[in-house]
Amino acid sequence: MTRINELPVTEEMNLVTAVTHTLRQEMQRDPSVRVMGYDIGPIGGVFRATEGLFDEFGPDRVIDTPLSENGLLGVAVGMAIRGERPVIEMQFLGFMYNAWGQFIYNLANLHQKTGGAMKVPVTIRATFGGGIKPLPFHSESTEAYLMHTPGVRVVCPSTPAQTKGLLAAAIRSDDPVIFLEHTKMYRAFREPVPVADYTLPLDKCRVVQEGSDLTLIAWGNMLHYAIAAAADVAAKGNASIEIIDMCSLAPLDVAPVLASVKKTGRCVIVHEARRTAGPGAEISALINEYALEYLKAPVKRVTAFDVFFPENQIEDAYLPSSQRIKAGIDAVLSYQF
Amino acid sequence: MGEKKWAEVRPREDYFRILNPDGSVEGTVPEVSRQELLRWYEVLVETRTFEAMVLRLQRRGVLSVAASSRGEEASGLGAAAALQVGDWLFPAYRQLSAVLYWNAPVDRIMAGLMGNTPEHIREHLPLPPEVPPGVNILPYPVFLGAYVPLAVGCALADKLNGRKHVSLAFVGEGSTSEGDFHDGLNFAGVLESPCVIIVQNNQWSISVPASRQTAAATFAQKAVAYGLPHERVDGNDIFAVYDTVKKAVDRARAGGGATVIETVTYRILDHNSADASAAYRTEDEAEYWKTLDPVERFEKYLFNQGILDQATKTAMEERAEKRLREEIERGRAVPPTPADNMFLHHLQGEAGWSTQHQRDELACELAGGNPFLDMTGEGMQ
Repeated sequence: MTRINELPVTEEMNLVTAVTHTLRQEMQRDPSVRVMGYDIGPIGGVFRATEGLFDEFGPDRVIDTPLSENGLLGVAVGMAIRGERPVIEMQFLGFMYNAWGQFIYNLANLHQKTGGAMKVPVTIRATFGGGIKPLPFHSESTEAYLMHTPGVRVVCPSTPAQTKGLLAAAIRSDDPVIFLEHTKMYRAFREPVPVADYTLPLDKCRVVQEGSDLTLIAWGNMLHYAIAAAADVAAKGNASIEIIDMCSLAPLDVAPVLASVKKTGRCVIVHEARRTAGPGAEISALINEYALEYLKAPVKRVTAFDVFFPENQIEDAYLPSSQRIKAGIDAVLSYQF
Repeated sequence: MGEKKWAEVRPREDYFRILNPDGSVEGTVPEVSRQELLRWYEVLVETRTFEAMVLRLQRRGVLSVAASSRGEEASGLGAAAALQVGDWLFPAYRQLSAVLYWNAPVDRIMAGLMGNTPEHIREHLPLPPEVPPGVNILPYPVFLGAYVPLAVGCALADKLNGRKHVSLAFVGEGSTSEGDFHDGLNFAGVLESPCVIIVQNNQWSISVPASRQTAAATFAQKAVAYGLPHERVDGNDIFAVYDTVKKAVDRARAGGGATVIETVTYRILDHNSADASAAYRTEDEAEYWKTLDPVERFEKYLFNQGILDQATKTAMEERAEKRLREEIERGRAVPPTPADNMFLHHLQGEAGWSTQHQRDELACELAGGNPFLDMTGEGMQ
């Protein structure tokens, strides 16, 4: 594993250009990497994540397919068992319900079902998340469905540099990986991304900042809201907040979470996903099972609500804001047994 | 309950046939050596013998469930015989003859029927050092139809890499109602994938008749919508199946793309040992289809041609009986799979925290301990 800060030559990239850059680099490195999906060819994807790749690599490496998520996933699995490394673009995570059959029966299950004889190195790049006010089923945060399935990895980057390292690792992994790209973050900000190739571990969360009074857990776009909320709290008092970027959602990197909560005694989990049986429920349950005696307050979940992603006019009230996260932090910090 | 049965609807007989039910032939018999014809016959004998043994074991409580391909053996075998070494075979549910033709190890099949994990079976039933090269066979899919897109992708990988292999997938007629079937065919057409999709139409999907799966005149014609060539053959005629699949396989190998083939046949027995077909179909129907039996038909032809005689037949049956009995015993002798096997082969590399923790919990429980005493996450003390 290369350390990013040992790679001095960088380019300013946002999240979506980091995706394109990484796809290009991985396709140049390995001829078995093929990008597949619909609208990914000449137009370069509806978010332009594959822009320029069709011209550079041609139609056998950048394969525009018929419009069927289930067909796309199944065909990719068939290619993967033969040594190909398909990278699928799932145009929106909310379109993936159509592919549930191939997702469960083959993508997730085939390695185990063949006793390890077959590997399924498919990467599913799925855009997800709310905040850009599109049509229904374009804003889903349904990572809990994915996390509930054995045999797949689920990762979610929150910065361009992290995107590159995790996407390269996902493509090189022999496991099926669902790589969640938050649409609101695609062009939200730029940062220097090393040009040389590197990978980041797929099964490790990231401690963004250390602290001693409360553990704040988030991922994807919510991480940035969480960081803002934590800064607000810190500016107004003397609470010291530890922030964990849960970029590895499956398998969940549990040990650092437990270690952190044992240190701070308080935890707030933030996610865009619906609350009931959402990822926060699992994290909270783990803390309850293995760190109860360290807790100074109940674990709170600052989440979206148990409804379908609402209409544009009211989506801001649905999604957790920095304000809502701050309220969660305040409530937990002020709780007295 | 059980008073009303489905009205019998016999499939149209406007299909391709070479070998008639009385053993006579019409048209051109495909060029197949005498030795190969005898091999086909032996596989048919083995298929019937093994399935009869398996049903008996199920009745004795050795197996929880068993299914039979009786009456459909020519469809699997004729198609499998058209493949070459290095090709890929995606079976459905009733193609035992296809996998036996390609020397699938019966002891491992038996151990699988007993509910052992593949890892455990491999450990206890190693393959002999010299295994003749064959086709690559996927394990039974259970969820039928889901292999169609896989076969299309598998073949596409060969095409993109300039390898001259063909992928062949079976589905039942019921699976043609699943989206997977249509997804696969559509991708196969557009991406020109070198594969062959066989719809083994045995008239029944558990209790639902073929007439209830589609209002279309045939299952083969579904290919029209995807721009794919299609054929419809007498699935109980091994020559018609072989000849048609061979042409489709050759065409795919030569870069001509995919073909859909409907093999019209009949499920003589229940769906499986948990089924009761008397509740939904009449005895007459099965009796009619027994007159079209694929094995008897082929046997008559072999006798007529002087390729097979009674002494050879008896010797073959005895050899099959002995070999299969030994293989089954080897499969049954595999010790029970250790419970920890369930945790194997989900992800590469180190198990995640939760998986490792749950694995330890099960080990603790099986050792008589209480797995719930870890209150700190640091493991079972």
